[in-house]
Amino acid sequence: MPKIIFRLLLSFIVFVTVFVLIQQYLTPNSFGKYGHYRADAIDDNKMRTSYYKGEESCVTCHQDVYDLKSEDVHDRVRCESCHFPKIAGSVDCEVMPPKVEGTLEFCAQCHAINLGRLKKGVPQLDFKEHKGDQNCIECHNVHAPWELKE
Amino acid sequence: MGTERIKKNRRTFFKTSAALISGTLLYSLMKPFEGLAQTKEEDIQEDKTNFPLWGMGVDLESCIGCGKCAEACKIENNVPIEPFYFRTWVEQYTVKNNGEVKIESPNGGIGGLKQSVPDEEIFKSFMVPKLCNHCTKAPCVQACPVGATFISPDGVVLVDETYCIGCSYCIQACPYGARYMNPVTKVADKCTFCYHRISKGLQPACVEVCPTDARIFGNLKDKKSDLVKFLQNNPTQVLKPHLNTHSRVFYNGLSSEVK
Repeated sequence: MPKIIFRLLLSFIVFVTVFVLIQQYLTPNSFGKYGHYRADAIDDNKMRTSYYKGEESCVTCHQDVYDLKSEDVHDRVRCESCHFPKIAGSVDCEVMPPKVEGTLEFCAQCHAINLGRLKKGVPQLDFKEHKGDQNCIECHNVHAPWELKE
Repeated sequence: MGTERIKKNRRTFFKTSAALISGTLLYSLMKPFEGLAQTKEEDIQEDKTNFPLWGMGVDLESCIGCGKCAEACKIENNVPIEPFYFRTWVEQYTVKNNGEVKIESPNGGIGGLKQSVPDEEIFKSFMVPKLCNHCTKAPCVQACPVGATFISPDGVVLVDETYCIGCSYCIQACPYGARYMNPVTKVADKCTFCYHRISKGLQPACVEVCPTDARIFGNLKDKKSDLVKFLQNNPTQVLKPHLNTHSRVFYNGLSSEVK
């Protein structure tokens, strides 16, 4: 074999070996387990922090409010629909209570007049016409809207 | 000189060429039969049958456009609060009497959608919540040059944040505009069906907070799930069916105006 061919062949083999070794070293272990991606990324996505706890955790302390809500028209509205968590789910909600200001704007998110919302069983009203600038919670109990306050 | 060498070894030259060509032909003949052999990929596909197949139903007849879902999504997934980053948002479509269609989604619908067109001009108006459609043939996955976005075995399109190089090809490839570049992590971000919640048996945050149950989440393989019942009870459609993405977000009551 001519010397030049031998050298070429040798350098080619060295190049391929180095390439394969580097590739082996750099490819994460779980890459290609399910497809062309790192399978551990699925676990990374699972590990994220959850903020919304679900009604089960609210009920442990607030069974009375839950019962009141379940019997009235807001039964399908979950606790956290209005009381959205302000802090990480791992922390007790007593530290920073998810308090809601029952302002007109807040109730208007669902109850302001909008033609796109018609015929959907959600009462809509012109707040100005209804009671002017008076706050909804002055008359309505938010958890049971038809238990009117005197 | 070259012709001379070929003339000298004409026999060898023909022999080598014939061997090469027949070898290539033989290999290409064998290629289709490779599937017959029990490969590693096939094992995984059998394994995949044990995984659930997540999907979502959106009932446009129930959606009131309160924007609670978009708000909850931002809180749950640490989406930047600035008004232009969303994993899910709600659009209001207004068809005017003259046939004009107005689409608006101020701040993704957070804080409740308000009608900007006077009542007497409106022919019809409806709300459309949008999110990642978790396509079976996802264009974003095909576009990713590094394998940082993928379809998980349970049918959710996820992003590998440590692998993403931030080239934003996937953002351009998505026909639904469901991806954005996260300004904090500098990688592509998108709806994961709240993967950290559903893997623990919880509902996604948007489904959890919806006051009218307009979003239905469930396992498409479980014939008793709420989602399968929803699909059986309602004539549903997917967005942009002509793109053949085979998405797994099903809309009930979808008008032809929706893009």
